[in-house]
Amino acid sequence: MLSADEAADLIEAIASRQDRAAFATLFRHFAPRVKAFIIRGGTDAETAQEVAQESLVMVWRKAASFDRLRASAVTWIYTIARNKRIDLLRRSARPIDTEDWLVVYAPEGEDADKSVLAGQTYTRVKELLGGLSEDQLVVIRKAFFEDKTHTVIAAELKLPLGTVKSRIRLALGRLREALEKDES
Amino acid sequence: MSRHPAPEELLLDYAAGALPDGPALAVALHAALDPASRRALDRLNAVGGALIEGEAGAALDEAALESVLARLDRVAVEPRAKAPVRRPGFEWAPPPLVPHLRPGMGWRRILGKFDEIRLDVPGDAYRVSLLRLEPGRGLPEHKHTGYEYTVCLQGGYTDATGSYSVGDFAVGPGAERHEPIADPGEPCIALIVVEKPIVLTGPWGRLLNPLVRRGLL
Repeated sequence: MLSADEAADLIEAIASRQDRAAFATLFRHFAPRVKAFIIRGGTDAETAQEVAQESLVMVWRKAASFDRLRASAVTWIYTIARNKRIDLLRRSARPIDTEDWLVVYAPEGEDADKSVLAGQTYTRVKELLGGLSEDQLVVIRKAFFEDKTHTVIAAELKLPLGTVKSRIRLALGRLREALEKDES
Repeated sequence: MSRHPAPEELLLDYAAGALPDGPALAVALHAALDPASRRALDRLNAVGGALIEGEAGAALDEAALESVLARLDRVAVEPRAKAPVRRPGFEWAPPPLVPHLRPGMGWRRILGKFDEIRLDVPGDAYRVSLLRLEPGRGLPEHKHTGYEYTVCLQGGYTDATGSYSVGDFAVGPGAERHEPIADPGEPCIALIVVEKPIVLTGPWGRLLNPLVRRGLL
């Protein structure tokens, strides 16, 4: 296993000295997980592996933009994998660099302590996900794994749009309350 | 915190990577201007992280790491990303909009009523534009069968659903008619992402709709 702090240290080692051993450790931990995550959405193993490899190459390229006060390593890697999945699966020749400014660039004056969810918080989120109802989890998992909008999810589950919206709002409300209580 | 945040289901769509590029740009601009929505996206990204961390992992080919390591010789570790440089005349543009602003882009006067810059965003299901309205001026009355996403970037506007200022987000569910009017003060600038087709409903609509369909208006 790789703790959040260890993973952050490894990314910083890439940034400061192009540390290939650090990259190899990150790759062995995260590439199989990213691949499994992508396969869950129905993507074939070969394409999922391509997404995983390209995501880890992006971790190398963008290592200097990682900020452990903004996001945990795995959260940052998730955003990279999400964007790679969009690039590779939609094959949209997007003319614009798909850098996620909201993740790499903290707006001026943003209080770093308040920028939530740094460090080990993903373990807390994992815990909180376990506390959601099955109805709520189904929607959240479909969104993340299958890359579907709430409108598409409602159609697939044969549920009214309003029902899906209220499940999402309840689930996210619980996450927000729990995490804000942790912070204060 | 804005009075009109983006609905949470749309933030989930964005965080999951499910939104088409046009609506995704609207959510990104809103989040750039609205700390509460940005924090909501941070939480949602952490959900994505937790789901990845929870995976047992699917084995990769033995050669996968070797081939990636071999490539790294040709891949530079890039310097820390900086916020994009603001363009003169576009000081109001939040960072996620800047890469869309091409050199030489300028406002185009439409129907003598408002100014528009049409943005080139991949995917043809949405029309993505920046609109600029002088105070007190409105948009032609129109309706649309699909969704419309609006993010206010400068000034403010008011329509039947309320008043919107910088950072506010509006989702039009569709069919109803509405006519936004720019508030007093500096000109109102907004990003508008409209699912096609768009139909004008005012007295000139019948005459102008063929032009709308051809993308000329």
